[in-house]
Amino acid sequence: MSEDLKEEMTKLKEEIASLKEQLRDVTEKEGRRRGIYIDVGNRVHDYIKDVMEGVAEGIHGELEKSIFIGPRGVRIFKKREHHREEEEVSLPKIAEVMSALGHEHRLRILDELMSGGKYINELQEKLSEITTSTLSSHLKVLEEAGLVVQEKVRGRHLITMPGRTAYKMARRATRFLEKRNQK
Amino acid sequence: MMRKDYQLSSTVSKVIEEITLWQTERGIIEISQNTLAVPITLDDEVKGYVFHGHGRLLLDAIAETEKGAVGKSIEKELDELFIMLGDKEKIEEYLTATDEEDFTRMGYEDEKGFITRAEDLCDQFFGTRRWDSHQFFHKDHGLIFAFPNRAKRLDILVTKGSKLIYKTTDIVFVSNENKIVLKSPSETVVSSKGKLLVINKNDFLRCGC
Repeated sequence: MSEDLKEEMTKLKEEIASLKEQLRDVTEKEGRRRGIYIDVGNRVHDYIKDVMEGVAEGIHGELEKSIFIGPRGVRIFKKREHHREEEEVSLPKIAEVMSALGHEHRLRILDELMSGGKYINELQEKLSEITTSTLSSHLKVLEEAGLVVQEKVRGRHLITMPGRTAYKMARRATRFLEKRNQK
Repeated sequence: MMRKDYQLSSTVSKVIEEITLWQTERGIIEISQNTLAVPITLDDEVKGYVFHGHGRLLLDAIAETEKGAVGKSIEKELDELFIMLGDKEKIEEYLTATDEEDFTRMGYEDEKGFITRAEDLCDQFFGTRRWDSHQFFHKDHGLIFAFPNRAKRLDILVTKGSKLIYKTTDIVFVSNENKIVLKSPSETVVSSKGKLLVINKNDFLRCGC
């Protein structure tokens, strides 16, 4: 038997003796304690710690990829590419929306609707310089562009969520350009 | 198969003038003069009707929120047979006897032809749903409408006061005063007192609270 093997056997005997001692302790304490406690050293704790850190990092990474918390609310993206796809808009559609926004009267209609849905006579009162027929045709353009929707039952005109966003963006873009031009 | 506890009356009537079957701030259902009507009975009591004539359904499936309006108005021509359950007293006042011409005008050879199609519609409605008849069709439990759609399935409208559920193959619209849920193929919108939550088909969530 080589010296190494003898040394290994000695170590194993010591470990078995240690385990027997622990087992005896457990047996003695069984009546008083509900669980079984075996000293496994720090290896298991370290392993669990490593695993949990890995899981936490993974979750954190996923959350970073999929959640954006901004001043206007929380946005959750399952996959970033989906968000990119959503942002792809055809040029004719952009032209349609811009065309709908590109008239002072229509912008004034949107401005009035920002404070809530209105019947055509209420809009007519606010925009008295526009004739009823012109007002109707402007509303039709805004509806076709998806910026305004009309309730069929009550008849009110409402600014849509895209309409509200488009109107705000048009204002911001104009303000930005004005500032740039002043510089 | 049609449920045993339901029967269609053998007497078909027609509507004497235009009737508004249902009307709230959100929607309206109207049927025109001469619309055919056959009573649906449960325990020998009339619980509703199958109608066939001309009419229309208007429904504003729109949620007005602080972030703008979401949804659309629904307009449906009621040229096919449809079922209405509840509020039968109102209908009875507007019914009169039919003659042969009333059936031929609607494309039937005779009364039997209309009843056969009405039975098919009832089979479709009652056969696929586990309605608790006594609970649902009590007069205090609002109205239920079932309209066949292009996909040969039924659009269902359930209303009671300001509460409303409208379900088609494409959308589900639930409204209770200022609380609204609108599910369309592209997104689901939840709105309560002007606050808004939108979840679109790409799991893009927007919170307008």
